[in-house]
Amino acid sequence: MIAFAEPAHPPSRRAPLMWAVSASMAWIVPIAAQVVWLVVAPRPGWAHLLVAVVTAVLLVAHVFVVPLWRYRVHRWEISPQAVFTRSGWLVQQRRIAPISRVQTVDTYRGPLDRLFGVANVTVTTASSAGAVHIVALDAAVADGVVEQLTDIAALGAEDAT
Amino acid sequence: MTADVSWQRLSPRMLLVHPVHEVLRQLPVLVGSLVLGSSTGNNAWPLAAVSVIVGIGLLRWFFTTYRIDDENVSLRTGVLRRRSISIPRNRIRSVQTDSRLLHRVLGLTVLRVGTGHESRGHSGFALDAVEAAQVPMLRATLLSESVPGSAPAQLAGRVLAQWRPSWLRYAPLSFSGVVMIAAVVGLAYQSGIGVTLSQRAAKAGAEAAHRTGVVVVVSFGVVGLVVASVLLAVVWSWLTYGGLVLRRDDAERGLSERPSGGVLHLRHGLVRLREHTFDMRRLRGGTLREPLLVRVLRGARLDAVMTGVHGEGESSVLLPACPASTATGVLSELIGDGDAVSGPLQRHGAAATRRRWTRALGLPALGGVALAVANAVAGPPVWVWVVWAVVTVACALLAVDRARSLGHRVADGWLVARAGSLERRRDCIACDGIVAWTVRQTLLQRRAGVATLVAATAAGRKRYEVIDVPADRAWSVAAEASPWVAQSFWARA
Repeated sequence: MIAFAEPAHPPSRRAPLMWAVSASMAWIVPIAAQVVWLVVAPRPGWAHLLVAVVTAVLLVAHVFVVPLWRYRVHRWEISPQAVFTRSGWLVQQRRIAPISRVQTVDTYRGPLDRLFGVANVTVTTASSAGAVHIVALDAAVADGVVEQLTDIAALGAEDAT
Repeated sequence: MTADVSWQRLSPRMLLVHPVHEVLRQLPVLVGSLVLGSSTGNNAWPLAAVSVIVGIGLLRWFFTTYRIDDENVSLRTGVLRRRSISIPRNRIRSVQTDSRLLHRVLGLTVLRVGTGHESRGHSGFALDAVEAAQVPMLRATLLSESVPGSAPAQLAGRVLAQWRPSWLRYAPLSFSGVVMIAAVVGLAYQSGIGVTLSQRAAKAGAEAAHRTGVVVVVSFGVVGLVVASVLLAVVWSWLTYGGLVLRRDDAERGLSERPSGGVLHLRHGLVRLREHTFDMRRLRGGTLREPLLVRVLRGARLDAVMTGVHGEGESSVLLPACPASTATGVLSELIGDGDAVSGPLQRHGAAATRRRWTRALGLPALGGVALAVANAVAGPPVWVWVVWAVVTVACALLAVDRARSLGHRVADGWLVARAGSLERRRDCIACDGIVAWTVRQTLLQRRAGVATLVAATAAGRKRYEVIDVPADRAWSVAAEASPWVAQSFWARA
């Protein structure tokens, strides 16, 4: 029986704020729809109140609770032999892949990522179920990770399947 | 290996096949032209359409060429939209041939090449079609990179399994007959015949019911449907898998570093003949599939887990439903480890069993509550309660079977995971083919103290799950299977 330590490094400090912003954008349309509904048909009032309360509860959970929860769960670490991450909130997963089996190392920066100065690193293996995603790293950290990984991965010359 | 490096054409006999296929493919256009011809009174329309379609079919042959040189196999196709595919020969993992009726009559075979990285929706490399006599030579040439120095003459074939008529007893236990009947009915309705037919059938049924009683007619109908689907399933299974031979051709020992070199050769079909040749070095294990009904008759199916072969569907099937002893024997022979195939498994414990029970009985419990409420309000008929009791008992039995199936085993370089009841499967995966491990926990799994362990490989269905392992054991299992996990920075003894 072995115990397994958790990966050490959290994502960027700006990550929760970024997740909150991206989550709140998803709520613009429902809120706008409700305002339109209120303007077009202000009665019955209790229906508006009910829907507003439900919306508010879901919004608070999605925009405030989930990003913080995610920030507490997300961790990553790279050793000379392997990449190890922990991610998720309701469903949590920890994934480890040996660097000798790494096939590609990609970085991705969407518009929001650029705004907040973060980057996502994806390490792919020969299996579609074996890609390791390290999300919301500080851009400088991400560059370091990519450099480190490509340096180590270049050493292995196996078939990696 | 000397290879002819000039561009070659497919068999000239395809000049007969292409136009027929083209006409079949353009059938809507033809029907349209017939309608147009009859409505305008001008019979030239259908004739023109046929000649254009046949002409395109003929042109197709002139525009399709292939080449096998030392490094690549290349194919150029398309009359208007030219397409060329080139595959490095050392990437070829399997060679598959397929000849439908028309092809067989003309002595032709479609030859498909499978590589390590096939994405869905991307049509692969297919020579449609070459002469059947050329196939052994082409197959040996194409796979020569995988099996060094092995012309067919040097291979010593060993038959692993051969189809027997007794295998047909498993055929009625599948839903293929029902599916076929449903397909025919759907087709009939689409073409509009179905409506008139069903009206007539309904009329005849009503008359018969009037004479003999509703129960008799309905039971006759059900029995007739069951008999028809059983017959269809048996005939279909016989036509598809009849004459199946699974053969292993070993490469000469000494030439290949691993003893598991060589190729695996599967051949089946009575009318439509299919052959599949796998590179054994790409074998990463196998899956024994035992659907409940097949398991009752002590049967099993066998799938290959290979890189470059899809894990689901027809392409990975090694044996259809056959006696379990045959399936386990073949798999033991292939992976060289009998214990992995039929040895005892490590159980997952009380928490996993409890989860099977709560899942299976969740729905019946809700139904029971709903019924109790309904009983207080309206009083539903008694048969509703009987149905509920039967469903509940069935779910309980399902939970028992699912809990009993659950198990795993790591030994001698093989990870074995078994799960399921209606579709029970036992996956045997080579540990050195595992490229990543995932430990996944939902909220409920964290509460119950269990975790799902996912082994990622490049082979087969890519992800193989060990469901609901005790959470504190999950990493130990991974570490046992993969030394790199045990030696990793995070492992603490």
